[in-house]
Amino acid sequence: MEILGSFLQILLIIIVISIVLMKNNIKVIILLSSFSLITASLYFFNKAPDVALAEVAIGSAIMPLLYILAISKQREFIVLCYTNKECLQEEIIDLLTKFSDFYKLKLKYIHKTNHNDNNDIINNGNIDLILKKNEKDNYFFICRESSTLMNKLQQLTMDLPNVNVVKVENGEDYD
Amino acid sequence: MVKTMIKKISLIIILAIFLIIFIILQNDLLLNQSDLSRLYFLQNTLNETSSENIVTGIYLDYRLFDSIFEASTLLIAVSGIIFITRNYEYTTDTFFIFDKHKASNILTHLSSILFPFLLVFGLYIITHGHLTPGGGFQGGAILATAVLTTYYINPGRAINTKYLVLIEKILFIALILISSISLITRNTFFTNFIPIDKNNSHRTLFLITLNLFIGLKVSFGLINIFTSFLREESKL
Repeated sequence: MEILGSFLQILLIIIVISIVLMKNNIKVIILLSSFSLITASLYFFNKAPDVALAEVAIGSAIMPLLYILAISKQREFIVLCYTNKECLQEEIIDLLTKFSDFYKLKLKYIHKTNHNDNNDIINNGNIDLILKKNEKDNYFFICRESSTLMNKLQQLTMDLPNVNVVKVENGEDYD
Repeated sequence: MVKTMIKKISLIIILAIFLIIFIILQNDLLLNQSDLSRLYFLQNTLNETSSENIVTGIYLDYRLFDSIFEASTLLIAVSGIIFITRNYEYTTDTFFIFDKHKASNILTHLSSILFPFLLVFGLYIITHGHLTPGGGFQGGAILATAVLTTYYINPGRAINTKYLVLIEKILFIALILISSISLITRNTFFTNFIPIDKNNSHRTLFLITLNLFIGLKVSFGLINIFTSFLREESKL
């Protein structure tokens, strides 16, 4: 029994470190619930079944549900465009509306023209996507790597040759 | 780069200091262990509180005053959450969260099968709190999860939080009233109101009722928290 207890404790340390390092929100929630499951089994092995029951019910059922709810409450999808309103192609607008309809998000455009003070705006504000356009009509979608919605966006842009999805890690600047 | 390195190194040093303190404290605890309270509770809990589960005997008889405040913290937390979240308009758009794209058929069908068993299990834990591990809080949390799975079964469900808060408040007041009946019958606050010379199986009635009230209160509180999170409108 002692070997099992120490094994579970080592597993706990590994899970905690991976929670700290993980950037994907949903995976973090799964890891948190598995963390509380393992702590519950540790309580049980140390002869505290009452505490283990409370830990199982609260830690691995209600808390992840609340977290998932809080994440899926994100309704607005804010797009920062470094172009004029007229310059945006129609197919790009169609793509974004299709994407936001799929997740039932409210689409919101912010238009900006100067390129200077924008280095890490994607990390500071609650902007989800930056849209840039170069001279050859190539579009760049710049987004956080941690956002899970972006996989769908990448899927949608597969057949458009002039659209590139660039994923930026959290805390990293994009020039 | 240098700043982050300094931060990481100082964090590691702080954690190492905590580890050393923990090891020293553990050795101290092993030296100063005493068996007095353990032996007392092992010998006298069944006679004094009529509870076979010693934990229940402690939190519903010896330390009933503490558990009432513990119950009140949840009530305060729930009222705070309801005050902060803006759910004036009763929007029932839970379809957004439990979307057909996100929740698979397996999950919805399994949760509809599991729902009655979860309810029975929660009630079992609440009512057998004085015999087996568990009690009001644990069983209440399980009941709350059982009710929350109904959101997977039928996303369009609407729970009116107003009445739930009212019921929770009434249950809390009833908890205080029941636990202070002992002032009349036994002349002391916050213990079993049935006199100590009665049969043990009669005296467990007090434990069962208190566990039931605490369980219902906790489950209503958790359902409240969940539904007010669900309805919270983000107005930017």
